Amino acid sequence: MTQSVNHHPSISLLELYCDGSLNAEVALLIATHLDYCPHCQQLRRDIETDLGAELAATNPATSVTEVHSTDWLEMMNKITATPQLPQATPAVQPDSQLSIGGYQFELPRSLRRIAGKRSKWLSMGGIATARLPSGEPHHASLLFIDKQTDVPLHTHQGLEMTLVLSGEMVDENGRYVPGDLIINSPDDTHKPRNISDEPCLCLSVLSAPLQFKEGLTRWLNPLQRFFY
Amino acid sequence: MDLVMTARHHGPEPSTQGMHDLTGTDTLTGTELKTRDVGQWEQALALVALSRDKQAYQELFGYFAPRLRAFGIKMFGNEQQALEMVQDTLLNVWQKAALFDPNRGCASTWIFTIARNVRFDMLRKKQSRKDDISADDLWADGDYPEAEDHQTQKWELWLITEKLAPHFAALPPAQRLVMEKVYLEEMSHQEVAELLGIPLGTVKSRIRLALDRLREALDDSER
Ligand SMILES: [Zn+2]
Repeated sequence: MTQSVNHHPSISLLELYCDGSLNAEVALLIATHLDYCPHCQQLRRDIETDLGAELAATNPATSVTEVHSTDWLEMMNKITATPQLPQATPAVQPDSQLSIGGYQFELPRSLRRIAGKRSKWLSMGGIATARLPSGEPHHASLLFIDKQTDVPLHTHQGLEMTLVLSGEMVDENGRYVPGDLIINSPDDTHKPRNISDEPCLCLSVLSAPLQFKEGLTRWLNPLQRFFY
Repeated sequence: MDLVMTARHHGPEPSTQGMHDLTGTDTLTGTELKTRDVGQWEQALALVALSRDKQAYQELFGYFAPRLRAFGIKMFGNEQQALEMVQDTLLNVWQKAALFDPNRGCASTWIFTIARNVRFDMLRKKQSRKDDISADDLWADGDYPEAEDHQTQKWELWLITEKLAPHFAALPPAQRLVMEKVYLEEMSHQEVAELLGIPLGTVKSRIRLALDRLREALDDSER
């Protein structure tokens, strides 16, 4: 069985991510998926190219108010009076390792900085969660599922989005490997389980129902199980 | 009024000459725009990166500032924030032009992604959320990471512009040879090292030196 990413965000979700209008928590989930998925990385570049071309083709005359050109000149002179950046000084690299349940995990790039700001782990059985900085109405957390462990049935009012970071999970609908994105609506009664002998680490984002009232279909990839 | 500052023929002093362009009749119409070369903005970015070319920057600024403003007004719904976004975006363009990689996309894409990131961080800041998820987390691979020796890896397509060609020929032979292999024959640094029997580090050094020379030559020729 292939280990490649099978469960992708829809193009419309990628478009929202690319134009920057997606809420930060869901955008983080998409950014993390991209860290695992060359296929969606290419789509991202294509979308950004489109958006850039759109910007270049914008008609500036649609502006409501007139800005006097002297304001532009002032802005430009202020900018060009600024020194250009010297050789990049290498930024301090955040820790790429994460320890939980006696295991070490390698974090994807998009989560390294933010994972360092997690709250402390809450454990129950073979499950542990740690909140990442996120605000209402979204909760982003890391979810650890030990080997041979079922996630207890849980209820939530909103949409639940899960991205596998390491290890694997199964539910009634399939098997998920690192990079796979799982989207469950409130009425889904799925029961994720880790039936493997490796621990599983996930990124989970819970959203309040109001955020998604426009309908789920927009968010789900019709080709969810498309192999490439 | 569509503001465009393009007057190369006006000479090298943008702070005063730019004034004429801004208030005068030297603006660019839509039809003229269509006739411009593909790759114009990429070349302008290359010149800004290589020689802090203020006229090349003026062209970029003149074209993109009003468009970014229109884009910002659409996004923010108000002019003040739109202009803040324009200024921050175009400051990034000026300061980070060397990070633009023409092989990975066009200038408009790069400028768009900067504006998108600036806007995202502005909104987070407004929500007092600037310490958690930031644009850098979401789009860092933005695909323009601050590469260690970015100057040696780019400009393949743009080095041989009209402006640079004469200076290219005037490079010391060893540097010119490396530059030709890398930029004209598109060989990797490693391949060039093997072909010429020199260390990889030397290939990189020669490229850096050659780029410095080209930058100097450009600076001089503009004076
Ligand atoms: Zn994907």
